[in-house]
Amino acid sequence: MKRECSSVSKLLDKYFDHEVTEGEKSLIDGHLPDCPACRRTLQSMENLRTLIKRPVEEAAEKEVFPWVWEKIERGIRETEKPALWDFLRSWLNVTPLLRRKIWIPALAAAAILILMIAPLLYVKISSHPALSVVEYVESETHNVMVYELENQKVTVIWLFNGLEEGASTS
Amino acid sequence: MKRILIPFVLVLILSVLSISAALAQVETRVRIIEASNVGSNIDPSLRDITDQVRSLFSFRSYRLLRDETVSLRPNQPIMIPVHPRRSLELTLIGEQRGSAEIRVKIKQDKTDILNTQVRLTPGRTVSIGGPKHGQGTLLIALSRL
Repeated sequence: MKRECSSVSKLLDKYFDHEVTEGEKSLIDGHLPDCPACRRTLQSMENLRTLIKRPVEEAAEKEVFPWVWEKIERGIRETEKPALWDFLRSWLNVTPLLRRKIWIPALAAAAILILMIAPLLYVKISSHPALSVVEYVESETHNVMVYELENQKVTVIWLFNGLEEGASTS
Repeated sequence: MKRILIPFVLVLILSVLSISAALAQVETRVRIIEASNVGSNIDPSLRDITDQVRSLFSFRSYRLLRDETVSLRPNQPIMIPVHPRRSLELTLIGEQRGSAEIRVKIKQDKTDILNTQVRLTPGRTVSIGGPKHGQGTLLIALSRL
């Protein structure tokens, strides 16, 4: 009995931590009802664990772990917010029409349309009413006069070849 | 996908080329007129010009000798005979913001009697006149279409 108690008492630590084999557990379970010393040892282990566990749990309940929450929140954000490209891809795949990649020829058609319309708009919008219509004028044989009436949009370049021709103008 | 994309790219290139070619040329109307004080006939197709120049000249008659529309391309001179001894040469120098720069030369017996460069905008007419023609005076009206 004493020899059995000695071998069981060596196993009590492992038994307390549920680390014994089935055979060892049977041996200890059979021994404990007849051995008050081993029961006391086991009870003292239980008491010690209760003594340590309660303040640790209380401290843990009071304690706030900000770094843990930050890590968790970051993880939530990363799972909720996809990358820009993933977002675009998911958006383009939103309908079966777009999933067929019709948008590539559609973009090409839009580009053609823009190229065709843009120069026409540019020509219509832009004008230079303030600039002189005649950039330069020269003649080696005639005297030249330029009439520009901006309000009537009239520009006349007149070649004079002597006094008799000048008489024909008013 | 390539079967769709290649024709579209070709269409795109052709469109750009055709647009640039269309923009490069300038349609210009050339009217050659004999203005005189012989009679009082005014050609109905010259009403727009006579209304403009009435305040400047005292001619009573305007006779249309020639009405032609030419397509001017950059640096490609176009010759228009005006009189057996005279000719008109038009050259598109460039185009900036809707304004076509055109060099105009009037030649007489291979001599330049006028060398000028004008900016033509749509709706604007530039008239060149002065040389004698028959019993009147030659007037050349250039308008951009």
